[in-house]
Amino acid sequence: MARVFNWQLGREMSYWYPESRPRRQFAAVFDINKCIACQTCTLACKTTWTSGKGQEYMLWNNVETKPYGSYPLAYDLKLLDLLGAQQWNGNRYEGKTIFESAPAGERVLGVRPEANDYAYPNTGEDDCAGQVDHGAFLSLPHANWFFYLARICNHCTYPACLASCPRGSIYKRAEDGIVLVDQSRCRGYQECVKGCPYKKVFYNPLTGTSEKCIACFPKIEQGIQPQCFVNCIGKIRLAGWVSSPKHARADNPIDYLVHVKKVALPLFPQFGLEPNVYYIPPIHAAASFNRQVFGPGAAEAVKTYRNAGNDPDLAGLLCLFGSTEALVARFQRQGNVIVGSDEKGAAVVRVPMNEPVHVRPAFDAKNQLVRINCP
Amino acid sequence: MKHPLSTAAALAALLLSANSCARQPRRTPEIVAVPVAAIPAFPEDRAWNSAPEHLAKLLPQDLVEPRLMTPSTPEMLVRSLTDGSRIAFRLEWPDADQSDTPGPSRMVDACAVQIPEKIEKNPPDPQMGQSGKTVQVTYWRADWQAIVNGRGDTIRDLYPNASIDHYPFEAKALEPGSPAQKEMAERYAPARALGNLRAGPRAAPVEDLVATGPATLMPGPPLASAGKGVFGKKGWSVVISRRLPEGLAVNQRTHVALAVWQGALQEAGARKMRTGWIPLVVRGAK
Repeated sequence: MARVFNWQLGREMSYWYPESRPRRQFAAVFDINKCIACQTCTLACKTTWTSGKGQEYMLWNNVETKPYGSYPLAYDLKLLDLLGAQQWNGNRYEGKTIFESAPAGERVLGVRPEANDYAYPNTGEDDCAGQVDHGAFLSLPHANWFFYLARICNHCTYPACLASCPRGSIYKRAEDGIVLVDQSRCRGYQECVKGCPYKKVFYNPLTGTSEKCIACFPKIEQGIQPQCFVNCIGKIRLAGWVSSPKHARADNPIDYLVHVKKVALPLFPQFGLEPNVYYIPPIHAAASFNRQVFGPGAAEAVKTYRNAGNDPDLAGLLCLFGSTEALVARFQRQGNVIVGSDEKGAAVVRVPMNEPVHVRPAFDAKNQLVRINCP
Repeated sequence: MKHPLSTAAALAALLLSANSCARQPRRTPEIVAVPVAAIPAFPEDRAWNSAPEHLAKLLPQDLVEPRLMTPSTPEMLVRSLTDGSRIAFRLEWPDADQSDTPGPSRMVDACAVQIPEKIEKNPPDPQMGQSGKTVQVTYWRADWQAIVNGRGDTIRDLYPNASIDHYPFEAKALEPGSPAQKEMAERYAPARALGNLRAGPRAAPVEDLVATGPATLMPGPPLASAGKGVFGKKGWSVVISRRLPEGLAVNQRTHVALAVWQGALQEAGARKMRTGWIPLVVRGAK
């Protein structure tokens, strides 16, 4: 194995191939606190890409409910259990990644889901309490909270699917870092399905090949955000480009959230893939759970997010989420307005931080009548 | 005077022995392809009795990751026939489960016959050949056999209770089989659209491949291959036939290597049991 640098772990690690970062890396920030699990993103993806035969069970985008939900079933718990307890030392990960803990004869430490594990895509996951009969009370092993975790492929810097494929059928595009399965070369061994810790590669039993989220690359190539982003009614998502820390730009929206404010964090960074979808962690979830899922920066990220009201640049940038179909490469706050621009600096969207509010009194003094708000 | 019972016992033993000898096939250290008028399509055909049997010991694939760390199928019985232009192999191995339904984490049973492209004294590396020394592989799969046998190629054939609401390319507005309908259906099956032969639609349970080392397997020139697999109480019995290797003369030797995958044990791709090179000789008609 080669030695590569994973900035999310604060150290070098072992990987199947030498470090080869793309010219720019597709990335996204999801604000978990705004997700209501309406599954519009799931349907937008499903109807666009996976309506074919053999794709019936595939959800390249899914929204699961934490802490108990998952798709496929227990994908994360099984791998965390297999990996065992590991340690962070500050922002440096002292434990083993799934590449470093690969058993003899394997390329990565992986879990292969059973077919039935795909049968429960957020079915009853968000019932955080069962029915409580008169006089009874409910006792749970943790405080009563849950949150929705929307997931797509992380288009990782060090993809485990790519490392797992013995045929080299998976590749990472140099121009945007999007990870794709070469459908002309794949022979359906399902090593990628086993190797991806996020379980975002799916086997198509009718074509005999594995398929995955393509980050809507035909849209990306035209400077447009993917389907699951532009259809998100909660406006929780922002797509763009992430730099490595030393090349981070404060006017790049993703860099600002990830590197400058450190309010958006990777999902299970300890697995070692350097995933490129970042999450603003849920402010009501247990801090220990957030730490396990989003790494050691979770508590500070929650603090920063809670303080966004006093931080106009951060608050303004959060207003850009879901405000335009275009990819926003740069942003700037001009007073009470946030301006999003493309890579050439041309403005693509202007969003006021505070929408004008007009209150119409219930009693119309001029006409001496009481307005009602129904027809 | 001899005891009548002991005579009877001796006779019985002799008869049993003779009977046993008649059933015990001749075994050879190499695979000998015996001439027949026509290659039988089915593994149960009596023509196979004319060929000697070779017991092929199998080893786990342990050259490249992912490796098969736990040996599974220990050995395979092989017979071979030729009609002068084609060569056929009957491979038999024990398998407790008939794995012919693909799906997420559902692997299928399979086997393969590998022969060097060129007849030469020093064959390529037995594990998928090597750079500059191509091997030809004829690969058979149990799920393809099920399709050829008549099982439908839809999700309901694999999962009878599957719920399907709509396929866009089967909308009422599209005439079935029309160019527009076909074009749209192809868009939703990218592997088929790109001509990946693995992706079907499937008319034969075998495919012809070539390789020049591990991870280089790719579709090869057609070898007019055919196959037929039958699952029985003891496991699989599979016939794989193809054109005779180019330039292979009667009584000349080349090599053959075999591989088998047990789907129930999650074997696929590099996770397989395989042989090294086994000498192969083709006999001519007397």
